[in-house]
Amino acid sequence: MPRLTARERRESYQREYAFQKKHGKSFFPNAVFHDTIVSLIVVALIMGMAILWHAQFGSVPGEAEAGRIGGLLGPAYEAKADPGVLAYDPRPEWYFFFLFELLRLFKEPALLIVGSVIIPTIWMVLLIGWPFIDRNPDRRLSRRPIALALGVMVPIVLLTLTFYGSKAPGAGGAVSTEPGAAAFANGPCSTCHTLANAGTAGNVGPVLDEAKPDYETALNLITNGKGGMPAFKGQYTADQISCLAGYVATWSGATGTTPGPSAPSAKATYPASCEAAGGDFAGVAAAGG
Amino acid sequence: MSTLLPPPGEIAKIPVDWVEERSGLVSFGKFMLFRNVPKDISWLQTLGSALLTVFILQVTTGILLAMYYQPDPDTAWTTIKFITDDATLGWLVRGMHKWGSSVMVVLLFLHMGRTFLFGAYKYPREMTWITGAIIFIMVMGMSFTGYLLVFDERAYWATIVGVNINGTAPILGPALSWILMVGPQISTHTLSRFYALHMLVIPSLLGGLIFVHMLLVVRLGVTSPPWSRMQVTEGDV
Ligand code: HEC
Ligand code: HEM
Repeated sequence: MPRLTARERRESYQREYAFQKKHGKSFFPNAVFHDTIVSLIVVALIMGMAILWHAQFGSVPGEAEAGRIGGLLGPAYEAKADPGVLAYDPRPEWYFFFLFELLRLFKEPALLIVGSVIIPTIWMVLLIGWPFIDRNPDRRLSRRPIALALGVMVPIVLLTLTFYGSKAPGAGGAVSTEPGAAAFANGPCSTCHTLANAGTAGNVGPVLDEAKPDYETALNLITNGKGGMPAFKGQYTADQISCLAGYVATWSGATGTTPGPSAPSAKATYPASCEAAGGDFAGVAAAGG
Repeated sequence: MSTLLPPPGEIAKIPVDWVEERSGLVSFGKFMLFRNVPKDISWLQTLGSALLTVFILQVTTGILLAMYYQPDPDTAWTTIKFITDDATLGWLVRGMHKWGSSVMVVLLFLHMGRTFLFGAYKYPREMTWITGAIIFIMVMGMSFTGYLLVFDERAYWATIVGVNINGTAPILGPALSWILMVGPQISTHTLSRFYALHMLVIPSLLGGLIFVHMLLVVRLGVTSPPWSRMQVTEGDV
């Protein structure tokens, strides 16, 4: 077969399509019938999910101020947002899990922007520009090996990222609801330190689960800094520092809900100091300010 | 006297003819319904119309929710609670809006996968794909801005995380975070801004783009599957 010019190829497609249309069938009732059935199934599915969701949290007794939670399909609503609550495990809606996991893969401060900006931007450009990138005129999959490979790989990558994203601890990494955990996980500490209780995996500074600092050591380091550890004196109030030190001392080396070995020395100020640290603490830290 | 009245069938035609003569809507409707599509289109090609249905559903339930919802940090959560627990069938409206968004995202991926595997983005349907891709990004924006509106703990923290992700972009990032939150932190203004984006800005752009997408689909016609056996035979067309 002689090679067609791009123009001839376009004309040949137009001819072929005009033929298919001429020998086609009327949109109504043929396609409309199929469309209606599928639309009805989809609406029924949405209603069914709403009913199931409602039926499940409906059985939760009216502890209304604390939200109505529980059920397979998730809560009706959780407690009212309160910036004063220091510990929360933030999770996006499930269809952002892949992005969320991407961020966790590039957790290192220097690489963060790869996951947060560079990859999503490349992905969006590829998506929008795809018709200009794939110049292969053939539509049969057997003649489109690259497109086929992509068509198989992209869903696998997305599903894998979504799966691991769904298993991941919250965004900052806070797995626990202990006072101070969210501030630690969402604040700068998480980028440098590994602390199992907070679910963080930074590796610039010591692994705190191994260092197991006591309260005084932690307080001193957070206040004044040392070596690679920045001083947080100007950034946090005394109560906030005390809260973080108490949290680190209590929960480093912890197993599950059993506090770590240096807990006793922390008892005096922790967790009271976290309460005293007040409302905006985690919010500011989380907002990177 | 009664002989002056035309037969009933003719009476019914009067308003139809009136509209047709002044707008051409009737023949437009006939064109839409009775245009031909390729004989071998498949069930996979119903996903787009299902998406249109879900979009209309989201708009409808969204309007109903807006009749009760107040975008104020003090009352947002309370009005959500009222809708869910007290308003007649409020839970159904909210539930359908909430789950409709999830179903819409799944359908988007399926519809995108279908057009990708069919090679339906190729000549002459490149613009259909491009409008679709922008629609996809906008739907993600809808879901991000909608998530905060419940204003419970989950909404609040997820939004902080999301805004911080924007914040990591060089130069523009921090500015974007600031613009989204209207300041360094989530506040009254953040909620109003998200609400305005969620129910005015993005939906109107989205509606316009979906309209263009549909226009293109009607103008260009849907592809027949790549495995179609229909071949142009000599002397045809
Ligand atoms: C830029 C990276 C960095 C950040 C951010 C950071 N640290 Fe550190 N941290 C270090 C380094 C490096 C050390 C080791 C200092 C030394 O001993 O020379 C350290 C040491 C420590 C120690 C002492 C561990 C021991 O050896 O017993 C504690 C406790 C600690 N950091 C807590 C925190 C807390 C809490 C935060 C958040 C407010 C934080 N760090 C933020 C890098 C960091
Ligand atoms: C709200 C979102 C959307 C709606 C309502 C919508 C609706 C439709 C409808 C009704 C069709 C015709 C038949 C069919 O295939 O179902 C169609 C076709 C098409 N859509 Fe979409 N769509 C949406 C999003 C998208 C997205 C995200 C993409 C891709 C990035 C896309 C790309 C296409 C293409 C290329 C066609 C042409 C298919 C063909 O001719 O075979 N659409 N769309």
